[in-house]
Amino acid sequence: MHSGTEGEEEEERERDARVVGGPDLRLVLLAPRHTGRMRPRSPLVAYLLLAPSLIGVTAFLLLPVAIAFVVSLFRWDLIGTRQFVGLQNYADLLTGGALLNSLWVTALFTVIAVPCSLALGLLLATQLVRAVPGSSIVRVIVVIPWVCAPLALGVVWKWIFQPSTGALNALLGVRVEWLTSPLLALPAVAFVAIWQQVGYVSLFFQAGLARIPDSIYEAARIDGASSLQRLRHMTIPLLRPTTFFLAVTQVVASFQVFDMVYALTGGGPSHRTEVIASLIYNQAFDSFSVGKASAVAVILFLLLVVVTVLQQRYFGRRITYDMS
Amino acid sequence: MHTRRLLSLAATYAVLVIAAVLTLAPFALSVITALKTPHQFVQDGPLALPVPGTLENFTRLFTTAEGGFVTPIVVTVQMVLVILAGQMVFSVLAAYAFALLRFPGRDLLFWVYVATLMVPQVVVVVPLYLMMSEAGMRNTFWALVLPFVLGSPYAIFLLRENFRGMSTELLDAMRLDGAGTLRLLWSLVIPLNRPIIVTLVLITVVTHWNSFMWPLVITSGPTWQTVTVATSGLQSQYSSNWTLVMAATTLAMLPLIILFMVFQRQITRSIGAGTLR
Repeated sequence: MHSGTEGEEEEERERDARVVGGPDLRLVLLAPRHTGRMRPRSPLVAYLLLAPSLIGVTAFLLLPVAIAFVVSLFRWDLIGTRQFVGLQNYADLLTGGALLNSLWVTALFTVIAVPCSLALGLLLATQLVRAVPGSSIVRVIVVIPWVCAPLALGVVWKWIFQPSTGALNALLGVRVEWLTSPLLALPAVAFVAIWQQVGYVSLFFQAGLARIPDSIYEAARIDGASSLQRLRHMTIPLLRPTTFFLAVTQVVASFQVFDMVYALTGGGPSHRTEVIASLIYNQAFDSFSVGKASAVAVILFLLLVVVTVLQQRYFGRRITYDMS
Repeated sequence: MHTRRLLSLAATYAVLVIAAVLTLAPFALSVITALKTPHQFVQDGPLALPVPGTLENFTRLFTTAEGGFVTPIVVTVQMVLVILAGQMVFSVLAAYAFALLRFPGRDLLFWVYVATLMVPQVVVVVPLYLMMSEAGMRNTFWALVLPFVLGSPYAIFLLRENFRGMSTELLDAMRLDGAGTLRLLWSLVIPLNRPIIVTLVLITVVTHWNSFMWPLVITSGPTWQTVTVATSGLQSQYSSNWTLVMAATTLAMLPLIILFMVFQRQITRSIGAGTLR
């Protein structure tokens, strides 16, 4: 590829020298000099360029999904022989309590975490875009949790929530069992998730707010609309595309939450925080029921496909409506 | 009118200060704890400042076998670098083909790539584990990187969008000039798309430095532990030694916080602009 490096370098220098004149000049001067002829481009080049990623996508995304479907039809403990059981794993899951429990836990987690992080993210964004002195540093600070490993944050919060040695109870002067109480464990986990997401969510709202022209607000102010009225009748409706995008991506993400739950509770106490991903992990690597774990994975996958397809349809209609 | 303005300004500052304090408090508390001796931690309570401070917990993580945090850091850095190099190179190549070349089956293939965006990690983790076990690659470095090193559909999707936005005139001119594909990529496509590429580099580093489920499943024992797996292991092994555990979480988070501080403008802008999810 790099035959005649010297000549190429010289050419490059020449070109750089000519580029100074701006893009138009560049186009003119880059035009063929040595009677350039369009090389015949065979599709082979394209397939060659695609080969690595195509192998990756096929072997590590498509094939695993297919394997999950197949393995979900077997009873298998990883060591012994595989035994074909048809849809028995699915039947067991639907009649047993574990799957329904984890669907319920995941739904509850989503219902707490997503609306709260959206509402708080919007509140934060409306204050950040006022650009008061000092707000630029807050804008950076609130995003920090988002770049940190959910596992590490989970471990930090696990300590904060400790009944006797943790910071929260010391601060409040109480002795609450946050993570081991059947009632408080899930809200506590959801709280940590909200804490991590609010700053990230607010970035999208800040961008959305920046796109709303000031003139609209001016008009409303002249008409005597209060700031609460402006929020309710202008800001929130105008932000709907952003809100919708965030709601969908946050719901999809919260259906897959694992690391944080693993660090905080591991799914306990007595499965009260066992989200779907925790159930998959526990079935496969604690109970060694690979078939059952795969069945749960298939159900989660189908659920997410349905959510995605529905939102695509809804989005398709909504976006045009909102843009008009 | 004047008082109302002042009040609303006060409310804004109240929100901003509360947000900043609530965000930073857990980090501050964990660092404070990491700088205490276990004795101080028990004696003075969790909220007391570390007076005098000690680096005992950190040195323990770096020197003694029980901490053993050096290997995880080396493993994680290697893993992130290999995945980063592979993903960037192979994603750029694929995105170039999808965006700027014409070949039979292009749209179908691209549709397949986009469809795989719907496949979450938790769904493929068990099958991937079975595949790697079958191949005898459990608890190896290659098992850590192989599923990700050949390119990411998400990166390909984003890059393709950006590559398509380039002016074709410039590309055609260079092609006429006799430039080959790699030359075109290196001297035109990549320089013109530097912002999105830098953003993708940062996102890839963050994602894989923080990844936990796959390393947890596919590695066992200390040889190929990543930082997140080692942190989690340390926490369950020394469940009451919080000063040591907080030193570990600090080490796990600090590199990315620094990285974020350096590139925060780039990152926050691309997220807000909707280029990232």
